[in-house]
Amino acid sequence: MTYDVYMHFPVIAIMTLFVGAFLVTLVGKRQAARNAIAGAAVLVSLTLLALLIKPVMVDGEIIMYWMGNWEPVEGYAIGIAIEVDALSLFFGLLITIAVACSAFYSFQYIKQDDARGSFFTLYLMLSGGVLGIVLSGDLFNIYVMLEVMTFAAVGLTAFRTWNPNAREAAFKYLVVGSIGSTCALLGTALVYAQCHTLNLAQISAILPGELNPTTVLAFALLFTGFGCKSFMFPFHPIAADAHGAAPSSVSVLISGVFTKTGVYGIIRVCYFLFRSMGLSSVQIMLVVIGCISMFVCVTMALNQHDFKRLLAFHSISQIGYILTSLGLCTGLGIAGGLYHAINHTLFKGLLFLTAGSVLYATGTTYLENLGGLAKKMPKTTALFLIGAFSISGIPPFNGFYSKWIIYQATFEKAAETGSIGYALVTVVCVVTSVLTLASFIKVGHSVFFGQLRPELAEAKDPPLGMRIPMWILGGLCVFTGLFPNVMLDYIIIPATGAVFNAVPYIDTAMGEGYAAAHLASTSPFVTPNYTLLGGWDPLAWLVLFVVVLAAVFLCSLAGRSNRDVNCAPDSKHAVFFGGEEAQYSHISGGDLFWGFKHTMRRYLGFVSGAHTGVTNDYVLWGVTATAVIIAYCFAFML
Amino acid sequence: MNKKWKRDDLIVRSLADSYLPIALVLGFYVILHGNISPGGGFQGGVLAASGVLLLYLGYGFKGVATAVNMERMHKLEAVGAIAYVLFAMLGIFCGYNFCRNVLWDSGEIGDVWSSGTIALMNYSVGFKVLTGVGFLLLLVIALLATGEDEEHSGTITTTEHEELERGKGK
Repeated sequence: MTYDVYMHFPVIAIMTLFVGAFLVTLVGKRQAARNAIAGAAVLVSLTLLALLIKPVMVDGEIIMYWMGNWEPVEGYAIGIAIEVDALSLFFGLLITIAVACSAFYSFQYIKQDDARGSFFTLYLMLSGGVLGIVLSGDLFNIYVMLEVMTFAAVGLTAFRTWNPNAREAAFKYLVVGSIGSTCALLGTALVYAQCHTLNLAQISAILPGELNPTTVLAFALLFTGFGCKSFMFPFHPIAADAHGAAPSSVSVLISGVFTKTGVYGIIRVCYFLFRSMGLSSVQIMLVVIGCISMFVCVTMALNQHDFKRLLAFHSISQIGYILTSLGLCTGLGIAGGLYHAINHTLFKGLLFLTAGSVLYATGTTYLENLGGLAKKMPKTTALFLIGAFSISGIPPFNGFYSKWIIYQATFEKAAETGSIGYALVTVVCVVTSVLTLASFIKVGHSVFFGQLRPELAEAKDPPLGMRIPMWILGGLCVFTGLFPNVMLDYIIIPATGAVFNAVPYIDTAMGEGYAAAHLASTSPFVTPNYTLLGGWDPLAWLVLFVVVLAAVFLCSLAGRSNRDVNCAPDSKHAVFFGGEEAQYSHISGGDLFWGFKHTMRRYLGFVSGAHTGVTNDYVLWGVTATAVIIAYCFAFML
Repeated sequence: MNKKWKRDDLIVRSLADSYLPIALVLGFYVILHGNISPGGGFQGGVLAASGVLLLYLGYGFKGVATAVNMERMHKLEAVGAIAYVLFAMLGIFCGYNFCRNVLWDSGEIGDVWSSGTIALMNYSVGFKVLTGVGFLLLLVIALLATGEDEEHSGTITTTEHEELERGKGK
């Protein structure tokens, strides 16, 4: 075995976070020491993973690390492994970036809260658990880390214990989340019974091609387990509750990081362990679940009256994009899905942090109580606009490029298979994107634009310590949108290649030729093809954007003299308001798109009514989903 | 719970007195011999932590609160976890992998001290579980005790917020 220093980096990156969590407990009430430890822990783990980009992403190396040097004996991997290929590193990087930004934001943000001592313990535990999942090469370790992560997240959701909503949300999260954990554990046990090993690489070599009832059940259970962790369709209401109640910096983790472990798990299960993505039934299952998630959640988001709940539903909607794209099983599809995964972490992180800043400044996130904050919080407004443009897929921001790839991937899949269904998927994707834009117009209008509410006159931008992490995320949103080729070449394409080709992953762990000896019976996936139908030149779009913006600006300047700039309430308008003087007439966000909402009232009413907020109902949904997925797998996979 | 029930029952107290050393000795025995006999740090830690419950049964909340410092127990749990990671890190310091047993050729097979780092890591797990489970039991007991005025004075603060409130009250 060749010895390199960077072999130790993954395990140290995970352990730094855990040791940081315990050290935070030790220093107790000293706030400066607490912040220093937490900041150092997240920065060290970010740096260590960033140093791995060169060997793993560029040189295509796979880091295989046997804990305690327990290497495989006689073809059986008994030891616990950490295996970092390009896919693991991709998720590890996006996790550590979000964790670092959010941690630095929290230093200032949680100053208003009590029980600050335990915040960073749980926060670092959650980060360590998440990082452990994506870097681990052992199925049972993934389950253990899943539990660490879930319980830390439940604790953080209930962090503001004075808020009854937070306690309720944490309880729902605990109950529904344990459905997912149970499914994952049962699936792991069945896989272990079948393969007599828990090493991911060895299972990936032995298991594929042996679809008997046990393995199909294991597949369905693992899929549901990780799907629950990614909050896919029937599990989504708990995410909305949790995001609404948790502190914003925790929402960043739950939305941007926690859900990604579910996506990562689904990729590992479908593309590696069972290699079942070649079956069209599995592809259709993922695509359908993705489409339902994105459409249902975006329509739910249109109806929300709370900033953070709205963002939460959008979060699941974007996860729907990722699942759909991953379900296509084409090079373009996976590249689009992974690209959207990193973009989602960046822009949703940014949006949750702006929501947190609004809460910090005004004490509320209820859309009807906000308005006109652009005058008081211009910097936050600028950041919100970056995030909103990114998530709505407006060029030149990053959401556009990944959505563009996803549209093309679905369309190419339709052309390839000749089925009208995949063309419909493209339509659903585009419609969802439009509805996303619509709901962000609603948020922008009711929070940042329009008339300033009199009671918000005291609001001001958050302190610099909170703005810097937001600017970093905003800058990354713009960077990933403007230089997609850099992202594709160095990050996305290596990760996509790793998804398609499990052979190096298996061979690095089990020795040369192991994969060839065991995998011969299963057909490998088609070589990925990344060519896009149409060109996307971000600079050309940026020029167009600037020209349009300049034109709008000029027009508005030209009409300035004719306009009543002050917009002061004028008694001459009183007749239009029933003869009384209108003191305040803010058009609230709920008033926008009333025509659309009225036309769709049956559907929207039905969807809203279905989200009862009762834990029992959500458990019923979860159990039903598990049953349906198991039945589907038995019907179409065997 | 019936509030008139007296905690300082002679029978319960003398049984607690006699079982407490047994629980502790058994717990520490299982931790110490974790590497050569069934059981280990986790099981032994839980057994030893049951001493907290016995104390509570015999002496009530006040007795536990005076005998055990809850805040210190909470911090010692973190020490146990950090000790585990440090022993695991010894592998990296000695040029092997994480968790590698670097003192593996220590002692005769069958001796208590025969498994090198494994035993040390086992002891840290035992320490962590002993303090962690003990802390959890204390937390539950403290929650039970808040209802009774007589014993309320011994309540241990769990959040800084509560502490602030109490400071204001004084």
